Amino acid sequence: MELLKQTLWVLWKDLLLELRRRESILAMFFFGTLLLFVFHFAFEIPAEKAAEMAPGLLWLAFLFTGTLGLTQLFQAERENHCLDALLLSPMDRASLYLAKVFFNLFLMLLIELVVFPLFWVLFNLAFWNLLPSLFLVAFLGTIGFCVLGTLFSAVTLKARARELLLPLILFPLMIPVILATVRGMEIILRTGKFEEAFSWLRLLIGFDVIFFTVGFLIFEWVIEA
Amino acid sequence: MAGTMQKRGRGRRVTGILALAFILVGLYFALIEAPPDAYQGEVQRIMYVHIPSILTAYLSFFIVFIGSCLFLWKREKRDDILARSAAEIGVLFTSLTIIEGSIWGKPTWGVWWTWDARLTLTAILLLIFVGYLMLRSLIEDENRGAVCSAVVGVIGFLDIPLIHMSVYWWRTLHQPPSILRPDKLPWENVHPSMLIALAVNFAAFILLYFYLLSLRFRVGEMEEEVKTLKLYGGAS
Amino acid sequence: MRVVIRNLSKSYGLLWALKKIDLDFQSGECVALLGPNGAGKTTLLKLLSALLYPTTGEITLDDQRLHQGSSALRSAIGLLAPGEHFYEGLTLKENLRFFNSLYSRVKSPQEIEQTLDTVGLRNWSNDYVSSLSSGMKCRLAIAKCLLLEPKLLLLDEPYGVLDGNGVDLLEAYLMRLRQHGGIVVMATHHVSRILTICSRAIILRRGSLIFDEPRQEPWESFQRTFAEFLPRGEKWNS
Repeated sequence: MELLKQTLWVLWKDLLLELRRRESILAMFFFGTLLLFVFHFAFEIPAEKAAEMAPGLLWLAFLFTGTLGLTQLFQAERENHCLDALLLSPMDRASLYLAKVFFNLFLMLLIELVVFPLFWVLFNLAFWNLLPSLFLVAFLGTIGFCVLGTLFSAVTLKARARELLLPLILFPLMIPVILATVRGMEIILRTGKFEEAFSWLRLLIGFDVIFFTVGFLIFEWVIEA
Repeated sequence: MAGTMQKRGRGRRVTGILALAFILVGLYFALIEAPPDAYQGEVQRIMYVHIPSILTAYLSFFIVFIGSCLFLWKREKRDDILARSAAEIGVLFTSLTIIEGSIWGKPTWGVWWTWDARLTLTAILLLIFVGYLMLRSLIEDENRGAVCSAVVGVIGFLDIPLIHMSVYWWRTLHQPPSILRPDKLPWENVHPSMLIALAVNFAAFILLYFYLLSLRFRVGEMEEEVKTLKLYGGAS
Repeated sequence: MRVVIRNLSKSYGLLWALKKIDLDFQSGECVALLGPNGAGKTTLLKLLSALLYPTTGEITLDDQRLHQGSSALRSAIGLLAPGEHFYEGLTLKENLRFFNSLYSRVKSPQEIEQTLDTVGLRNWSNDYVSSLSSGMKCRLAIAKCLLLEPKLLLLDEPYGVLDGNGVDLLEAYLMRLRQHGGIVVMATHHVSRILTICSRAIILRRGSLIFDEPRQEPWESFQRTFAEFLPRGEKWNS
């Protein structure tokens, strides 16, 4: 249908621009990796504690890296008043929301695919077999982050001190996702069983569904005002 | 129009006087009539204000939610003023709650702060309120600021149950129950005057809250009136 | 097509950009929108394109309210602002393909090539927009309009960047648009062009409408009103 087509076109545009300029992805990747290094110097992590602290540190790195991506999210639209061009068109505003959520999700997943194993190597962790389940938990958490983050990236688009304001508003609201993702990953690392983390996963899925729906419905007011 | 204003002003004054009365009576009951707690001693008395504080903080948040929803739906300035006023008073009562909790915590647990579920939740609530107000002040265009903070108000409220669940699970699944059970209410050995103290103070806080809210709302309305006068005065 | 503006006002905070504007536009008109800087020309254009919401009043297009109406109304409106509304990181063809799809206009790649040829940009079809000069970007904007086929075309100072050929191109397009029943509203400072192609002139000052007349010979009232906006020492040349 029309909504999906328009979403795909906007997504195509963003992917093409990113492929050519690689602004966001490179910055996010290097920032994420840099954070891991800084964590290593800041926290003395003894080998036996590494598995315990890994989920928290990883998710912290993703959170900050993701915020960087969010502040860049509408950058293409800020040049040449392209946002006006999009708003001028008969395009449904919700398509813009969907496209930006998917785009941000795509970027973050790419980063996670690289940073996860990198973390494992840098901190000399075992449990390589658990990586897929851990990644699944992180994926659900990333969806929650993108869903709310995209909405608030648009909300703060014209605010002063945007880079400070966005985390200030977003992080408290992200606490269920942070807790659920980190605890879920911790349980999997501790027990080796995916099923034990189910209650946290259910919370994550609930969060994702609720705020995706809310974001989808509310976005048109946020982007116009 | 003038009649409504007068009636509202009168209603405000009555609420204010009632609030004062209840506060005084509540103080009497809380500090003098009610006996000290069997386990916690005198320090337990702070619960007579702490529990109403928490409830008014959450009530405030609910009003921010309702105001934000109405504003997003109907775009009437009045609803936005309501939400904004409730957020400001809400910051006040939430901060009070945290400070009271700290004051209670020092003699009871020995520390000023602990990551107990209720305290953590209250702190998160405060952060969301602050985010709401900061967003407003950092967006230049007033209308846009109102819409954007309304979005924060709605989403914040919808998020509260999820935040609640996740924080409580985290605390119960992880921490062993503390020796003193700090969030246990003193329901056993309840002296009737303790219940009365709680009830009176609860009423006092609600009245105080609505008094402050209506004052702030009135100030907000007057600010809007000034703006409108300046605007349409300059149009001719 | 008919555009009706009633009691239109727009305020930014405590500043009025437009005050109680009443206007009617009919099919085939080419309206020049004039006024000193800060008069409210861009604001009026943005309101007409539904990018901004009015503080008071309303705009209707063929009896449908613009700002409360469906998004389909927006597909009939075009805004040409030189230098704007194109993604620098995409090629000319990609930009045109993208915007066509948003407007649900089905145009084949050949049609896009053909349009680029019409505006003289065929050789740059696969170049990035960032490599274009401002005059070429304006031609690209004309190409976009040719493909999107708006019925109400709004232009914000198009003449500043176009060369002689570009001007001919633009005016030929405007003529065709008018012949097909479209409406053109153009904000500009170029009086010579106004006198050539516009059928009506509107002058705004500090948000109010101070002049609104169809073109006539001689146009003394227009000369008189407009003379005060000319730079000091410059004489009116009609």
